[in-house]
Amino acid sequence: MEAEEEYLEAEENLEAIITRIEHKSRKIETLLKQSKPVDALKTALEGSALKTRDERCKSANWIVVHRAVMAIKDVDGMISSLDPEYYDILMKYLYRGLATGDRPTCDQCLRIHEKLTEKAGLGCILRSLSDTVNTV
Amino acid sequence: MAAVAVHQFAECITCHAWSPDQSMVAFCPNNSEVHIYKLFGEKWEKMHVLSKHDQIVCGIDWSLKSNKLVTVSHDRNSYVWSQEGTEWVPTLVILRLNRAALCVQWSPKENKFAVGSGAKSICICYYEQENNWWVSKLIRKRHESSVTNVAWHPDNILLATTSTDGKCRVFSTYIKGVDSKESESSSSDLKFGEQIAQLDLSVTWAFGVRWSPSGSILAYAGHNSMIHFIDDVKSNPSAQSIPLRDLPLRDLLFLSDRVVVGVGFDCNPMIFTADDTGLWSFTKFLDQRKAAPSSSRGSQLSEAFGKLYGTSKQVPSNDTVEPSKTRGGAHENCITCIVPLWKRGNTTLCRFSTSGLDGKVVIWELDIPK
Repeated sequence: MEAEEEYLEAEENLEAIITRIEHKSRKIETLLKQSKPVDALKTALEGSALKTRDERCKSANWIVVHRAVMAIKDVDGMISSLDPEYYDILMKYLYRGLATGDRPTCDQCLRIHEKLTEKAGLGCILRSLSDTVNTV
Repeated sequence: MAAVAVHQFAECITCHAWSPDQSMVAFCPNNSEVHIYKLFGEKWEKMHVLSKHDQIVCGIDWSLKSNKLVTVSHDRNSYVWSQEGTEWVPTLVILRLNRAALCVQWSPKENKFAVGSGAKSICICYYEQENNWWVSKLIRKRHESSVTNVAWHPDNILLATTSTDGKCRVFSTYIKGVDSKESESSSSDLKFGEQIAQLDLSVTWAFGVRWSPSGSILAYAGHNSMIHFIDDVKSNPSAQSIPLRDLPLRDLLFLSDRVVVGVGFDCNPMIFTADDTGLWSFTKFLDQRKAAPSSSRGSQLSEAFGKLYGTSKQVPSNDTVEPSKTRGGAHENCITCIVPLWKRGNTTLCRFSTSGLDGKVVIWELDIPK
């Protein structure tokens, strides 16, 4: 009985999460049109529902983050203006990007990975690899 | 440079402990023996080799008042060694484990010792005078995986443990006849094996749990490069988790209620301090390296990253010569064990020793601001 209730509650939350991601997507498109790729990335990383186990939510969020990541041209500038609290989340998404095998995505992710590691250190990589609870 | 002395004893050291007068050091050189060395002037001489265990000795503790050595091994046994004349006489302690023992520590009053094991249990051993042997009582509940470290609270009753299930737990080890009823502890806490608290801060393996000297703060390291500090575990726990910049820690030591030293895979002790409000933060690395921090990763790591990024990474010239891991610091490999060295009469700790997989024992000394 309890498991069922939890499941239903999770269902409602999923819809709320998907709506939020769609919201984010529109906001990011606007920011990109205004040539603000760094703000777009921050918006994409903010409020990522890491605890959910639903693949659709994760994929939806990944698509949004991917769009923002590919739009970054000045990697150094982006890293220096990103808040440290986003380092770990960004690193997790970079690994997801590297896992796609898609050439342009991998090139971009690798470029950002290099700079992020310089800034955030090896601890950041460790946290993204070892965290099996909050996944992207 | 805060490292006062560096001694290369073996290829690799699993764990070490010092004698009460700090003239002798006992360590396991990654085999089933315990070697005891004594310092004569400037030279170390091998005094004794204790070889009763069948497998690697993974925990050694030397009691400061009663001068007894306790060793635990992967062979599921434990021996308490007493020095009689020039010989060390072992007493077998039957732990009743079906998996390896992983760590051991004498309690503050040295009437008990705790053993963490891979059998997801802890053994609390105490001496029974009538039968002249050590009895082991097991705490089998609660742990979901191997117990990596144990730490005694100054009150001799509470025991904190860290485990590979990522959690840190606090248990009561009150034993009737061994422990006297203290007026401060409430009677409900006194049941043996009762879990007082469980901390879920880490999702990865947890190591190196320690209590502060006053017993009010608990600290442990997570394998995801984080260190956790918990204030007031018993009644109103408040936690602080600090993400580390580099590699994870394996062991910790409280120098005072405000200063913690962490050691681990960075091969360099890290100092953490708490400010007046109790907020902890990373202060500095203890060892000064010859190379600048950003290029001190060593040629192996730079090369690896170079291959990853597909460019020929500019390797600093001082690294290209040696493929070995020497980075100019005292330790060359992971530091796995940190032991306090109390100076007679001092109330604050400012000396400690570390041992690691490089086979070195390094003694460090610091000036701790009051």
